[in-house]
Amino acid sequence: MLNPVANRVEHYLDVLSAKQKLTASNIANADTPGYQTKDVDFASALQSASGSPVAATEVDGLVAKPDGNNVNLDREARNLAETSLRFQIATQYLQNQIRATRTAMSEVRG
Amino acid sequence: MSLFSAISVSATGLSAQRTRAEILAQNLANADTTRTPEGGPYRRRDVVFETADASSSFRGHLDEAGGGLTGVRVSEIRVDDTEAPKRYLPGHPDADKDGYVAMPRINPAEDMVDLMGASRGYQANIAAISAVKDMITRSIELFR
Repeated sequence: MLNPVANRVEHYLDVLSAKQKLTASNIANADTPGYQTKDVDFASALQSASGSPVAATEVDGLVAKPDGNNVNLDREARNLAETSLRFQIATQYLQNQIRATRTAMSEVRG
Repeated sequence: MSLFSAISVSATGLSAQRTRAEILAQNLANADTTRTPEGGPYRRRDVVFETADASSSFRGHLDEAGGGLTGVRVSEIRVDDTEAPKRYLPGHPDADKDGYVAMPRINPAEDMVDLMGASRGYQANIAAISAVKDMITRSIELFR
């Protein structure tokens, strides 16, 4: 509706919410034996067409605890804050676009 | 993708950690209990977590698979069945003929540390809920 960039931003918001959901899952399962940390591969998720489901991938290079669980709460806390901030930036951008469109519409109406 | 399901995931984490804290408190409270309805000393209990589907019935079938919606639940509360350790307390009413009393197998220090873990886990889930809530609020502001 707005412009091609705004459509991409919309897809970006989808990817961000998928990522935040996985982070919430990881935190909820921080003490579940055998649980493997899940994340979104940002590059490939952004390349994919908007509206397509975002795939969850397992993360390499994390140290597993003796019970086979490899959730690192510090990593998840960082991701939680980062995703939230990125979301804020993207929604701010969209809000500005919408405001500009609205201003243009009210100018036409006179 | 609905952000609301992320809140359900964190909510399962909250209830699992709360159950863990309750069971730990129960163990601590009964650290010296020598009489139970089943006979013998109190048996310590341990919660075991497992991953669980957290999709709400409302949104459940609409959500694409992806396997992303993993909540957590308490799969079982295991009752310790190892032999109770004996402590030499000759004056105790429950002492056997040699003066030994069967006591619960509870190490208060261990359970206190575990309790701190449960409380930290609860806090982490609350932080996740407020981050997601913030994102939802931002989305709502787009309508203004």
